[in-house]
Amino acid sequence: MLTIAYAVLFYGAALVLAGGIAYRMWEYSTTPAPLKIPTTPAPVTRGGVIVRMAREVVLFESLFKANKWIWLFGWIFHAALLLVLLRHLRYFTQPVWGWVVLVQSPGIYAGFALVAGLAGLWARRVLVPRIRYISAPSDHLMLALIIAIGVSGLAMRYVFRTDIVAVKAFFLGLMYFDWQPLPADPVLLIHLALVAALMIIFPVSKLLHAPGLFFSPSRNQADDARERRHVAPPLRTAARARQ
Amino acid sequence: MTYQLNGTAIEHDEEGYITELASWSEDLAGLIAKEEKIDMTVEHWEVVNFLRDYYEEYQIAPAVRVLIKQIKKSMGKEKGNNKYLYTLFPYGPAKQACKIAGLPKPTGCV
Amino acid sequence: MVELKIRAPVSGEDIPDPSAIPALAPGVMAHSKPYVASPEHQEAIGFPGELVDDWEERAVDKLGELVKNSRGLRVYLDTCVKCGACTDKCHYFLGTGDPNNMPVARQDLLRKVYRRYFTFAGKYFPWLVGAEDMTKEVLDEWYTYFHQCSQCRRCSVYCPYGIDTAEVSMAAREIMDSVGKGQKYCNEIIGKVRKYGNNLGLQEKAHRATLEDLEEDIEDETGVAVRLPLDEKGADILLVTPSADFFAEPHIDGLIGYAKVFHHVGASWTISSYASEAANFGMFIGSQDNMRELAMRIRNAAEDLGVKRIIFGECGHAWRAAYNFMNTLAGPFDFLDQRYPIPQHICEYTYDLIQKGALNFDKSLNDDIRLTFHDSCNVSRASRMGDKPGGQYEIPRAILREVCNHFYDMADDTIREATFCCGGGGGLLTDDLLELRIKGAQPRMRAMQQVAQDHGVTHMAAICAICKTQFAKVMPEYGFEMDNIVSVHQMVSNAIILDGQKIDREEGEEQE
Repeated sequence: MLTIAYAVLFYGAALVLAGGIAYRMWEYSTTPAPLKIPTTPAPVTRGGVIVRMAREVVLFESLFKANKWIWLFGWIFHAALLLVLLRHLRYFTQPVWGWVVLVQSPGIYAGFALVAGLAGLWARRVLVPRIRYISAPSDHLMLALIIAIGVSGLAMRYVFRTDIVAVKAFFLGLMYFDWQPLPADPVLLIHLALVAALMIIFPVSKLLHAPGLFFSPSRNQADDARERRHVAPPLRTAARARQ
Repeated sequence: MTYQLNGTAIEHDEEGYITELASWSEDLAGLIAKEEKIDMTVEHWEVVNFLRDYYEEYQIAPAVRVLIKQIKKSMGKEKGNNKYLYTLFPYGPAKQACKIAGLPKPTGCV
Repeated sequence: MVELKIRAPVSGEDIPDPSAIPALAPGVMAHSKPYVASPEHQEAIGFPGELVDDWEERAVDKLGELVKNSRGLRVYLDTCVKCGACTDKCHYFLGTGDPNNMPVARQDLLRKVYRRYFTFAGKYFPWLVGAEDMTKEVLDEWYTYFHQCSQCRRCSVYCPYGIDTAEVSMAAREIMDSVGKGQKYCNEIIGKVRKYGNNLGLQEKAHRATLEDLEEDIEDETGVAVRLPLDEKGADILLVTPSADFFAEPHIDGLIGYAKVFHHVGASWTISSYASEAANFGMFIGSQDNMRELAMRIRNAAEDLGVKRIIFGECGHAWRAAYNFMNTLAGPFDFLDQRYPIPQHICEYTYDLIQKGALNFDKSLNDDIRLTFHDSCNVSRASRMGDKPGGQYEIPRAILREVCNHFYDMADDTIREATFCCGGGGGLLTDDLLELRIKGAQPRMRAMQQVAQDHGVTHMAAICAICKTQFAKVMPEYGFEMDNIVSVHQMVSNAIILDGQKIDREEGEEQE
């Protein structure tokens, strides 16, 4: 019964996550960008834009310019999240890929870093009046949710150990449609339920910043308005009407 | 929004510029100046009259530089500068003097 | 007028950090709102005269339409994570402490309505994500605080996703216009451009008289007959400059500078009385229809006059509209000479001539001036000069160093891409917003006070009509004189030695 519930939950969550993000990306890519609005100084070529975007994605360059504390906590959290996600690949691959084996132990420390980074961000949200002012309940809940995922994960590693072989069998079973029983450990069930919740709210929440960044015209446009006439679809019809 | 002058109401906009340019009179100028806390002297009238003459010919207030040149001609070199005009019209010769002269407010990045 | 607490620091006193973060003072600027456009001004540019009956519904519909038609707006409304990076970046926040002047809070005024009507979370859990219905209170709040944004894009530099509050402000203003609540200052001016060709309402006869007057002045001063041609068909270059250059101080001194440069190299150029305005206020209100209308005037003038090139005078938002939007809105400009940038900035033109050694300067004529340079926001963060990114910072400075012996930059975190807006940009340069303008100028003025203290700087040069007017107005509030703001090409004009020019040192020093 439990296994079925979680299996259904994860199928649903994966569907919502993948479908939701795909829908959003379709929506963003089909919405016209009528005018050139890169924040300058901006690269003058597409290649330069890729480099600019890479610096934003990997280093959080703009955030670094803005505020060193937010950058520090934010970057730690995201880098840690990446490592933790990679570490979790071992539950979905058989045999486990070599490099995934390599990130196992950094991935554990990353779990602590993840929680620490989030705690830093949350502290700022509560303690800095400016950020407290702009925070809605959902902003606090989002932090609470991810911290709870991190803490429950770490708890399973150090306190309430669970049968990870069975967990892996469960997820591989989901992937190959050959369902295996899920251990009924409370912490595991909490951890998984929260992860599923996060997957489901992703496409309807501010977590959209992840795909959104790539569609931000102030960052993804090249500064070449004089060299190349920028024409977005709706304006094309307007221009035709004029002639 | 009106100025009350000798029993007649003369309409003006939110900023005190009269909406019907023909309703201007020297008495009205004196009244607007009082509201702007300006005591009209010969020099003030010189500016106001020049603005009105210029407007009549060109349908716009003169450039500040043109006004300065005129003042230089009529009042002497030491008064022919922007700063002197600001001592006459602290809120700016273009805007405040135009208001008193019954002309529309100069618009734009000025 | 509201009493201001701002005063200039007395000499020796520590000047506060231009970026110092004030304590939050909720509602302290809630009273600040510009005059509402009259029905006449509204209707002249295609908007309803006054607030329409079903405005709530129409505002929401308009928002939906804008989101559908602007990727930027949609992404910006969706992606903000409320990280707080932008909260201390807006000069209006730094100058007032009103939390609604924090960029994210300003965006949220619109975002909360977007969420309520267009997002899952806002439709079903409004309290959770701070979503709100479109109400009269919300509309009033929009009118107040979206007229406290100068669309300077400083926040977008620091946002990890490049969220640009300018785009959100433009959208909000467009929605308000579309339901009949426009701003008098912008809308009256746009109407004037559509009717007369410029913001001032300057007509051809007066335009010609003003230019002839300037020709006389230049000849009196230099002994050289420098021309300021108007509507001359067949000229090579069309100069499009803000109409403030024909009217205000120190703008007009910049215009004289352009004329001297053109004259010195024997350029064939003309001004147009039909397209006698570089600024495009259509941008301030987010109205692409009006932007296109105004851009088309410039195209039409260029075609009618048969010019080969278009050069823009010193005007910040105008340069953004010209550099980034004109090609899209009124292009392609295939009838112009493709060997030159279309359009070109007057600073690019002068800089090229300096590089070629084609201009003659006596720098010492500017020795009474110790100068700094104010990077105008829309030139800095929304356009470029020259071939390389950042040319918009280096080219004006290179010109100033060429014509002036004493040049000092303000603090690094207040110039170039981090520059502070003058406090009057984006359609806020109106007397009914004077309190806001004075407070918003505070970060820039403190940075200037610092270089005044450290290097004895006396003057600041700018390349934007708004900046020049704004500083002439607010500088006295910060211990400077109104004429401590100068045009870049005024500095050029002071130092350039034309062929056959009579040299009179005393005259040189007396230049206003």
